[in-house]
Amino acid sequence: MIEGEDVVKQYETGGQILTALKGIDFSVEPGDFVAIMGPSGSGKSTLLNILGLLDVPTEGTVRLDGEDVTDHTDKQRTLIRKQTIGFVFQQFYLLPTLTAQENVEVPRLFDDDEGISERAIDLLERVGLGDRLDHRPNELSGGQKQRVAIARSLINQPRIVLADEPTGNLDLDTGKQILDEFQNVTERDVAVIAVTHDELVTEYTDRTVNLIDGGIR
Amino acid sequence: MMERLYKRFPALLMARRNITRTKVRSVLAGLGIVIGVIAIASLGMFGVSLKYQLSQNLGDIGNQVIVTPAGDEGVQEITRRDVQRIERASTSSTVVPVKQRVDPISFDGRGSPTHELVSGMSHPAKTYTASEGRIPDPLRSGAVIGSDVAEEHDLRPGSTITVNNSTVRVKAVLESRDGFGFASPNNKIILPASSFADSGYDQVIITADSGTAANQSARAIRGDLNERRKRVNVQELGSIVDQINSAFSAVNTFLIGIGSISLLVAGVSILNVMLMSTVERREEIGVLRAVGYQKTDVLKIMLTEAVLLGIFGGLVGVVLSIGAGLAINHYVVNDVMATFRLQNMLYVVLAFGFGVITALVSGFYPAWKAANERPVEALRS
Ligand SMILES: Nc1ncnc2c1ncn2[C@@H]1O[C@H](COP(=O)(O)OP(=O)(O)OP(=O)(O)O)[C@@H](O)[C@H]1O
Ligand SMILES: [Mg+2]
Repeated sequence: MIEGEDVVKQYETGGQILTALKGIDFSVEPGDFVAIMGPSGSGKSTLLNILGLLDVPTEGTVRLDGEDVTDHTDKQRTLIRKQTIGFVFQQFYLLPTLTAQENVEVPRLFDDDEGISERAIDLLERVGLGDRLDHRPNELSGGQKQRVAIARSLINQPRIVLADEPTGNLDLDTGKQILDEFQNVTERDVAVIAVTHDELVTEYTDRTVNLIDGGIR
Repeated sequence: MMERLYKRFPALLMARRNITRTKVRSVLAGLGIVIGVIAIASLGMFGVSLKYQLSQNLGDIGNQVIVTPAGDEGVQEITRRDVQRIERASTSSTVVPVKQRVDPISFDGRGSPTHELVSGMSHPAKTYTASEGRIPDPLRSGAVIGSDVAEEHDLRPGSTITVNNSTVRVKAVLESRDGFGFASPNNKIILPASSFADSGYDQVIITADSGTAANQSARAIRGDLNERRKRVNVQELGSIVDQINSAFSAVNTFLIGIGSISLLVAGVSILNVMLMSTVERREEIGVLRAVGYQKTDVLKIMLTEAVLLGIFGGLVGVVLSIGAGLAINHYVVNDVMATFRLQNMLYVVLAFGFGVITALVSGFYPAWKAANERPVEALRS
């Protein structure tokens, strides 16, 4: 479904060129639950950003449903992100001014969407935060914020969920709850790609990709 | 109600939350707008009041030209020939020559007489209208008096006054008119010209149909009578009124210019606040972009914030300026309700509009900057 072919990403800093991804082939199909593992700085977040159409590769091609989206305009890529992709960021990035429920609704706030509140509440209940709907992020623990972020990534009914360390801040039980939730969505043909250091995650995933120094091993 | 509004304009919800997040900072930014709006509105209203006050004093004498002998050149009187030349020069206007002297007058027939300025005219009916009685044309006997004189001494047509030890009957009381100084009919005492011994005149009043016609006559008279040697002074009230008006619009433009500078400062402070807030919220904006907000959506949110600041600042400013307007009109024109005259309200609306536009314009650069940040860059920290 989403596919990167020979993806190279280079960063230029102070005249030096740093190659973060060295020609990666990667693809996921609907319903796949894939873990990306690797040491810090190996390019995991970079790959996730490229697959999530947040960033463009220096070389190589990204295809969505067979269509080359590498050279799409910002506007087109933004629309695809909205329709197809859900993000869970390494630092959650909730909006501090909004309640948990509003944070979940954020991606759809600009659409005239009637059932949005019910869906947001339902999602928060599924990640175990049914009693925290009106809390602001500063009134939530790290793990609770993480779960709000996960609920937010699912509100647009994406076909791909990209999660950077989704269980990084969670205890074992809550981690399992989240992973169960991810597994549930993969059963509805949603692909989940999770960057992780957590061996627990690999118990749930279909396969694990090891990224070392910008290359897949 | 708010819920519905937010559903309808989600940018409003986010903008409001963001503004209230840093209350002190927002209030300070809004304060700039408040001051700017007050400055423009109240300076504008001040100018309007002054002008109104002045033109009220001047009254409707703009179409009169008054010719007096050039005393500084040694000319003592306006001769009959002069009057004829004035009549020729000012076509289609009424020309009324006036003699003047100071006479001892007793208004109640008893007591010691006071000395008053008396005018001698043979055709007062040409320039004045009566509110009581009838002005004989020509005036051969009796007296015609201004409304202030009548009121002060309780006189009406039929009453008698004593001028120069002879009894004179009041024929008519003149209609009161707005005006000032020598042009005002309100304190005139008019006797027949024939009761004056000398043959020359002290004043010629020319009444034209309009200010422009008056101006033409004045120029013609100056050209004719003062051609070789200055014989007469020609005073034209219409041009005084025009000069005052244009002086006041210059003053007003200047005052509003000063007000606009304070709005400029307000704009800079909003720019500053918004820039700070885009830097602080870099990541949040990055997230919005990541989850599918277009650049225009981000632009909308940020501009809504700026406009909200402008609207709130502007509204507070409007309320305070109306307060200032009430005070100004109370002290300058002595009429509090004059604040709500259309011209004043136009200034208030103008000031409010400027305030909101200033906020919008100064919000634009920060908003544009926030919208064009690449989300990957914003989300790396
Ligand atoms: N914008 C950038 N400019 C310069 N270098 C960058 C940039 N983004 C990433 N890099 C570099 O690319 C490499 C890969 O970074 P990336 O964030 O993908 O690592 P990661 O695998 O996600 O690490 P972690 O597990 O610590 O999150 C790093 O060496 C990093 O310094
Ligand atoms: Mg990372």
